[in-house]
Amino acid sequence: MKSVFITFDQAHYEKILATLDRLNCRGFSYFQQVQGRGSKTGEPHYGSHAWPSMCSAIITIVPDERVKPLLDRLHEMDLETERLGLRAFVWNIEQTI
Amino acid sequence: MSLYEGSVRRPIMTSLVFIAVALFGLFSLQRLPIDLYPDIDTNTIMVMTTYPGASAADIENNVSRPLENVLNTVSNLKHITSESKENLSLITLEFEYGEDIDVLTNDVRDKLDMVSSMLPDEAENPIIFKFSSDMIPIVILSAEAKESLPGLYKILDDGVANPLARINGVGSVSVSGAPQREIQVYVDPARLEAYNLSVETISAIIAGENKNVPGGNFDIGNETYSVRVEGEFSDPKQLEDIYVGSYNGRNIFLKDVARISDSVEERVQETYNNGVQGAMIVIQKQTGANSVAISNEVMKILPSLQEKLPSDVKIGVIVDTSDNIRNTISSLGGTIRDAFIFVGLVVFLFLGRWRSVIIILVTIPLSLLSSFIYLAITDSTLNIISLSSLSIAIGMVVDDAIVVLENVTKHVERGSEPDQAAIHGTNEVYISVIASTLTLIAVFFPLTLVTGMTGVMFRELGWMVTIIMIVSTASALTLTPMLCSLLLKKNPKHSKLFKILYTPIEHALDGLDNFYAKLLNWSVRHRAVIIVSAIGFFALSMVLVKYVGTDFFPTQDDGRIGVTLETPIGTRTEVTRALAMKVENEWRQKYPEIQIMNFTVGQADTDNTFASMQDNGSHIVSYNIRLSDPGDRERSVIEICDMMREDLKAYPEFKKTQVNVGGGRGGSMSGQSVVEFEIYGYDFAASDAVAQELKDRLEKNVPGCQDIIISRGDYQPEYHVEFDRQKLAIHGLNSSTAAGYIRNRINGATSSYYREDGEEYDIKVRYAPEYRQSVEDIENIMVYNSMGQGIRIRDLGKVVERFAPPTIERKDRERINTVSAVVSGTSMDKVVKGGLAQIKEMDIPQGIDVQVAGSYEDQQDSFSDLMVLMVIIILLVFIVMAAQFESLTYPFIIMFALPFSFSGVFMALYMTGTTMNVISMIGMIMLVGIVVKNGIVLVDYINLNRERGIAVINAVVSGGKSRLRPVLMTTLTTILGMVPMAIGGGQGSEIWQPMGVAVIGGLTVSTLLTLVIVPVLYCVFAGVGIKRQRRKHRKAINKID
Repeated sequence: MKSVFITFDQAHYEKILATLDRLNCRGFSYFQQVQGRGSKTGEPHYGSHAWPSMCSAIITIVPDERVKPLLDRLHEMDLETERLGLRAFVWNIEQTI
Repeated sequence: MSLYEGSVRRPIMTSLVFIAVALFGLFSLQRLPIDLYPDIDTNTIMVMTTYPGASAADIENNVSRPLENVLNTVSNLKHITSESKENLSLITLEFEYGEDIDVLTNDVRDKLDMVSSMLPDEAENPIIFKFSSDMIPIVILSAEAKESLPGLYKILDDGVANPLARINGVGSVSVSGAPQREIQVYVDPARLEAYNLSVETISAIIAGENKNVPGGNFDIGNETYSVRVEGEFSDPKQLEDIYVGSYNGRNIFLKDVARISDSVEERVQETYNNGVQGAMIVIQKQTGANSVAISNEVMKILPSLQEKLPSDVKIGVIVDTSDNIRNTISSLGGTIRDAFIFVGLVVFLFLGRWRSVIIILVTIPLSLLSSFIYLAITDSTLNIISLSSLSIAIGMVVDDAIVVLENVTKHVERGSEPDQAAIHGTNEVYISVIASTLTLIAVFFPLTLVTGMTGVMFRELGWMVTIIMIVSTASALTLTPMLCSLLLKKNPKHSKLFKILYTPIEHALDGLDNFYAKLLNWSVRHRAVIIVSAIGFFALSMVLVKYVGTDFFPTQDDGRIGVTLETPIGTRTEVTRALAMKVENEWRQKYPEIQIMNFTVGQADTDNTFASMQDNGSHIVSYNIRLSDPGDRERSVIEICDMMREDLKAYPEFKKTQVNVGGGRGGSMSGQSVVEFEIYGYDFAASDAVAQELKDRLEKNVPGCQDIIISRGDYQPEYHVEFDRQKLAIHGLNSSTAAGYIRNRINGATSSYYREDGEEYDIKVRYAPEYRQSVEDIENIMVYNSMGQGIRIRDLGKVVERFAPPTIERKDRERINTVSAVVSGTSMDKVVKGGLAQIKEMDIPQGIDVQVAGSYEDQQDSFSDLMVLMVIIILLVFIVMAAQFESLTYPFIIMFALPFSFSGVFMALYMTGTTMNVISMIGMIMLVGIVVKNGIVLVDYINLNRERGIAVINAVVSGGKSRLRPVLMTTLTTILGMVPMAIGGGQGSEIWQPMGVAVIGGLTVSTLLTLVIVPVLYCVFAGVGIKRQRRKHRKAINKID
C-alpha cells in the first residue's frame, strides 16, 4: 500500500476524480482549498487579489501496482496544461486499521 | 455554491430566467405608450376671479392684492404673479417642481376660503384651476367651407367637435373662427323714443312671448290630459309680429321699431386656412392623457366624420403634435440601433472571435429590455429621456461582460476546461466588476434624488441607467460565465478567410500595445515633463470656457412656427386682416418649406376656451405655420424664423411682432431661449420709460436679441362715461342703472333664446349698427327713471376719451413690466451679459428695480442643482473607489482623469459650436462615473503586479500594456455608442446632441491622457510611499545599532 498525495490547480479536479475512478482507486481524502506555490516555476496559488487561483489536494491510498499507472496518467495530464500545475508525491503506508 | 458557479452548473435555469426577463420586457415594450417627455407634473395653479364692471386698477386693488397677500403664505411657492384686467383678476402661483400638486391645490383652496369675505360683494368666488402643458392643444384641425360657411359652426360642432370630445382622454374641443348663429333685433332709437319704448321693455316683451308654459292636468271622462301653452317661436320671422305696445290707439308691432335679422354674432374671430376663410377646431387633452394615443384616435375617426359633412366642408390638419413625438421617438430608435451595431463592431475587432462577440452582445438586449419593465410598472412612456438612457447605457452594459469574458478566455488559454475556467475566471474579477458598476450607480442613482425641474426631467434617466447597469452586472456574473462554459473552445480553429482578414488587425493591435508600452516607459522616467505639460494642457483648455456660451435647453426643430403680430391697438379687424393676408402671401412665396399656414384675427368669443386663454383682439393676428419635416428641407426652423423676423421689419404697421420656434414663446422646453428683464416698480410712467429705453438699447447694442417685447400692453383708448352724481340723483337714478342702459344699447340685451333642433341661439336686442357709431350716439342714449321719464346721457354727465393700461401685471406682490427677448444666433449668457451692461449704463429712477428672469432664471436654478449634484457624485465615486482599494491615494490618482474630461468637454463644445446647457451638463456629470472606470482598471492591475513582487516602474509599464486593450475596448464601446447621438440628423436630435458631444469629447481626451497621467502619478505616489518606508526602516536599524 502506498499513499499518493496530489496537489493541483482547482481546474483539474474533475479529471483527477475521473482518473481515480477509472483506475479503481475508490478511497481518497479531498482538501478543497489548499494554498501553495511550486518549487521552480509554479505560480503561487493563494486565492488573493494578486494570485487569485487556488489549489486543491487529494490523498489516496492505493495498492502498489496501481501507483505507476496513476502517476503516468497524472503526469500526462500535467504536460497537457503545464501552466495550471499538478504534482503528486508517493510514500509508504506502514500500518492501517 | 456561489452565484456564478450555480449558473454555470445550471445553464437551463440561468438561460430561462433571462429569457423570462426578456419576454416580460418585450411584453412591456409593446404596451408602452410614446410621448415626448416624461410625465412632468404641473407646478402652476391659477386662481381666476371675476369682478364685473371693475377696471384694471380696481381689480388690482380690490381683488388681486388681497388674494396675493394671503396666497403668498402657501408653502413651496416659488413665484406669485398676477394679471389684473378689466373685469378679471388672474393669479398664477408657480411652485417648486416635484411637489404634489393636489396637496398644494387644497392649501390654496383653504387660503381662498379665508380671504373670500374680504373681497368686494360683487366679485364672484375665485375659481382654481391647475394649469399644465396639457393645456397646449395637441391637434388643431382646419375646416374650409364655401356654401356652408354661414352654418359652419353648427355643422362642425355637431359633426366634428362633439364626436371628437367623446374620445377617451380629450379634454376639450373648441371651434373657433366660425361665427355662431344669433337672432339680432336691431332697434331704431328714434322710433323707440317716438313710441315711448325702450330696449328693456322690448327685451322683456320678447322674453314674455317666447315661453312654453305647462297648464296643469285635467280629467275628461276616464282620461287625464295635460294642458300646455306652446308660446315659443318656431321661426325667427314670428318675432316681427310681436305686439310691443300701442300708441294713439294703434297697435305697434316689433317690425315697426326694429329690424329682425337671423344672422351670426357681430364680433368674431376669423380664421383663414391657407388663405381661405374657414374654421379651426382645437383639441386639448386631459391632464395625464397620452397625446399620441389621442391623435391616433382622432386621425382614425376623421375620415368617417368627413364623409358625413356637407360636400363643400373640408377638414384638414394644421397641427398634430404627435407627428413630432412619433418622428423623434423613431429617430431615437434608429440611434439605438446604430449604437448597437457600432458596439458589436468594436467587440468583434478586439476579440476576433464570433463566439465571444455573441456572448457579449447578448447582454445588450437583455439589460435594455429589463428597463422597459420598469417603465411599464411606473406607468411611464417611451420618451426622449427614457430612450436616450438606453442609448447612453448601450455602450456601458457590455463592459462588465467584457471583463469577465476576457478573464475566462485567459484561463481557457492557460489550459482550463471552459466550465472550470468560467467559474474561476469570474471568481477572480467579480469584485472589481461590482465596484466599477457601483461607481456608475454612484453617478446615476443621485440623479433620481435631485429636486427642481432637472430632477423631474432626469429622474427617469437615473432609474433607467441604474436598473440597466444592475441587470447587466447580474448578467455578466451569471449568464456570461454560463455562455462561456458552453460556447468557448479550448483550441479554436479559424478559417483561412478569417485569418487573412483578422491577422492585420491583430498586428495593428499588437503594434499599438508595444507603442503604448514604449510611451509609458518614457513617461514614467520623465515624470516632471509629463505632469507640467498636463497641467499646461488643462490650463489652456480652460481658456475655452470663456468662448463656450451657456444656454438652458437646446432648441428643437419640430417644424412649427407660431407668429403673433399686433397692429396699433384699436385697429379694425378688416385692416389687420388685409395686412395678415399680405404677409401670408409674401411668406408663401419666400418659404416653399411652408406646408400649412393658418391665421386667426379678431376678437374671440368668450366661450372659446382655447382662444380666450390667448391674447386676442381686432388688432392681433396669430399664425400657425407648419413646415415640412426637418429631413426634407435645407433651412432649419431657426433660420426661417430669423428670416421672417427680418421680413417683418419691413412692415412699420406692426407695433409688436413675435416669431416663435416651436409654436410658443418660452415656456415650452423645446423652443428658443427667452431672456426676461423684469422691471419692478409701482409707478407706471417710470417703469414704462425704463422698459422702453431698455428695449431700444437691447435692439441697438446687444446682438442676438430678437423679438423684443414689452409685456405691458399699449394704453387702450377708451370712452369713459363720467356721470355727474348730483344730476343722477336729481333724476332718481344711480350710476349702475344708467350704465346698464348704455350696455343694453351697445352690447345688447340677451332677451331670450330661440330654440331649433335642440340648439339654443341668443336673441339679442340692441341698437342697429348705424345708431352706435359716434360719441354723439352714446350721448343721445335715453335713460328712463322709475317715473318713466326719459333723460339723455348728455344731461347726466359727459363722455371723455381716456387711456388706460389694459392689464396690470404683478409678480411677487409688486407691479412689474417685463422686457423679453428671444435669443437667436448667439448664446443666452451673452445676451444676459449685454443686457446687464446696458442696464448699468442706464439711469434707473428710484423705486425701480430690474432683474433677469425667464430661461436665464431656469438655467441658473438648474445649473446650481446640477453643480450640487456633481459634487455629491464626485464624493460618492471617491467613496466607492476608496472602499474598493482600501486606500485614499489610489482614488485620488484616478480622480485626475476628471479635470481632463472637463477639458475634453469644453474642447468638443467649442469645436462643434454647441452651448453649455442642461443636457450637456448632464453629459458632463455622467462622465464622472465613466472616466474613472479606466483608471480603476489600470490601477487595479498595477497593484496586482506590485503584489506579485514586480518593481514599481515595471509593474506600471507591464500593467499598462496588458490593460490597454480592455481600456480601449470599453471606452470605444461607450464612445461609439454615443456617436449616433452626437451626429444626430433625425427629428428631435437637437435635444440630445449636446450630451453625445460632451461625453465623446470628455471621454476621448480623458482616456488618452489617463493612459499616461495615471501611471505617471502612480509612480510618483508609490515612490513617495517607498521612500517613507525606507526611512522608517533606516530609523529602526539605527535604533538597534
